[in-house]
Amino acid sequence: MNGKKLDIRNLMMNYALYIIMILMIGAIAVISPKFLSLRVLTDILTQSSTRILVALGCMFIIVSGSADLSGGRVVGLTAVVAGSLAQTSEYYIKFWPGLPEMPIIVPVLAAVLVGVLVGAFNGIAVAKLKVPAFLATLGTQMVVYGVNCLYFNKAPNNSQPLGGFLKSFSKLGTGNIGGVPYLVIIALGCAVAVWILQTKTCLGKEIFAVGGNPIAAKVSGINVFKILMITYMLAGALYGLAGCLEATRTGSASSSYGLSYELDAIASCIVGGCSAGGGVGTVGGVVFGVLIFNIINYGLTFIGLSSYWQFIVKGLIIIIAVAIDVRKYAGKD
Amino acid sequence: MKKKLMMLVIGTCLLMSGCGNSASKPTEAAAAPTEKAAESSVEKTEEADSGKEIVAGVCWYNFADTFIANARQTLLNVSEADATIKVIDADSQNDTANQTNNMNNFLTKDVDYLVLNNINTGAISEICEQLKEAGCYGIFANTDSPKDEDFAQNDKLYLVSSNAPKSGTIMGEALVEYWNSHPEADRNGNGKMDYVMLLGIQSHYDTIVRSQYSVDAIKEAGIEMNSIGGEIVCEYSRAAAQEKVSALLANYRDDIDAIIACNDDMALGAIEALKAGGFFDEEDNYIPVTGVDATVVGCEAVKEGTLLVTALNNPVTLSKAIYKVMYLTNSGEEVTTDSMGMDGVTVDGHRVWLDYKKISKDNVEEANYDITDVNFK
Repeated sequence: MNGKKLDIRNLMMNYALYIIMILMIGAIAVISPKFLSLRVLTDILTQSSTRILVALGCMFIIVSGSADLSGGRVVGLTAVVAGSLAQTSEYYIKFWPGLPEMPIIVPVLAAVLVGVLVGAFNGIAVAKLKVPAFLATLGTQMVVYGVNCLYFNKAPNNSQPLGGFLKSFSKLGTGNIGGVPYLVIIALGCAVAVWILQTKTCLGKEIFAVGGNPIAAKVSGINVFKILMITYMLAGALYGLAGCLEATRTGSASSSYGLSYELDAIASCIVGGCSAGGGVGTVGGVVFGVLIFNIINYGLTFIGLSSYWQFIVKGLIIIIAVAIDVRKYAGKD
Repeated sequence: MKKKLMMLVIGTCLLMSGCGNSASKPTEAAAAPTEKAAESSVEKTEEADSGKEIVAGVCWYNFADTFIANARQTLLNVSEADATIKVIDADSQNDTANQTNNMNNFLTKDVDYLVLNNINTGAISEICEQLKEAGCYGIFANTDSPKDEDFAQNDKLYLVSSNAPKSGTIMGEALVEYWNSHPEADRNGNGKMDYVMLLGIQSHYDTIVRSQYSVDAIKEAGIEMNSIGGEIVCEYSRAAAQEKVSALLANYRDDIDAIIACNDDMALGAIEALKAGGFFDEEDNYIPVTGVDATVVGCEAVKEGTLLVTALNNPVTLSKAIYKVMYLTNSGEEVTTDSMGMDGVTVDGHRVWLDYKKISKDNVEEANYDITDVNFK
């Protein structure tokens, strides 16, 4: 009898966030039944897509036992870089006036490349120079923002939000195949790729090992420096892709893009079950973490509740998630 | 788990302290571009043999803001070209603590003019007091005005600002005009204008006046209003506005009659969401959206016919007016509408008001300005 009770308690505990999410969706649907529609689902998935990419990048870092505060600003920088390379020739304050129109793969790759470079910069600071990750990436956050502002302020643009994107570029963020937005397909593709990398490859296991116990990893022959470099560069690539897609999705880009996305991503990872101490984290959990925040954002706006309430609900969810986590661990002790 | 929590706490603390500490760095960085100006001004003052160099310290609220970036560059350009007054500037990074530090730095440096793009709107009288003690000229730039008593106590105090409420009024009046000339504007036929208000940063002066005066203008015209979605805080972000409007459209598609945004970026985010929702593809498929700033992309949308109206606060005019006030006072002349001699600039005592300009499809070409234009006289 006791055992059964405990089981239910455990069950409730393990699935508390899912239960909360279902209750919330239920409550919103009762207030406004239109919430349970395909359009709403597509909207939420589309809005989650770029954030899923940032959170997946962040997950790599957290699993490897490190931290990254630069993600949001990298999204901003890469959005501006991608946008500046994707303007039509007719646009009258074209960022690079002499530049011919290029296929959209160029801005996409440029954004990813910039992301990887920033990742390498982070990696060297953390793994080589041994700067604590919070400080190193906080520094990078500022450097990246400064670089972005300088680039964005270049004549003839002079800090004007970028516009005049190529149709094909905007299409990437707004188009769909059979009703499924490209953005959702890309995010899903990346999630699957990250899942394979994390669970089916040697590299994935090594990242877990480094995060779980760096000393043990080192003595068992893992090159910790290399693993950390790769994690930061992979995360950078995902931030870069996210930045580029932010530009395609909104049809513009400015240096303020991506502000505090890294904190949203960290919150999503934690709510999705990543351990801030490293060594624990799943793709499914992180995607769920992102979705729960976006459902709150979308759902509460949908029923016309003021933004102030959204802050309160989001904050409470983070606290509840961590509190449940604490109890899970306490149970194991 | 303790480790986890600790890390979160440490992270937050670092983030906070990081923002605070970084204040001094942008100041140095900001001073760099002015070095050239400083050199040339030194040469000229030597020629004129006027002795001490006149220095103005400028605290901008946020270098990253498009409007501020343009105003800042204009002021540096004008100062470099004219070389009577040397301009050094600092970034408050949208943080009153940074602003206070930067301001104190300038006062310690004994600047002759302190130009304050003030965000500490709760402490205007205290700041005026401090300026009076320092004995330098104080110019409040593009912000809430000091009170009459503050001006009475210090004749070295000036305000150079756009008439911020006007930007809200322009949006409101444009919507009234649209409402009255388009019977179909009341989309659900409830006799009320059902509107969505996209706010910037809560408690930010521009957000307050733009949201308040736009609604006031519509109510004054005798139109009943109904807010949809309450306070929608988008922090001036295009992406956030796009997401919120998308969510509202999914539920209130047939109710929304108008969208009022406190800047162009948010207005364009709303338009993007409306387009995705199937609006703007035909004549009768229109929802009026209003913005402020007349950014380049904003004006493109006005031309395209999606953005109903925007309001131009010309950063070039602002900075030229600031420089002109310094120039006039430096040469002992009185600041009047005549002595200022600039279009759209009126002087009322020590308050120099700059007009917002309504930009709609009819006059969209008037929204252009040139930040390399240094002619202020």
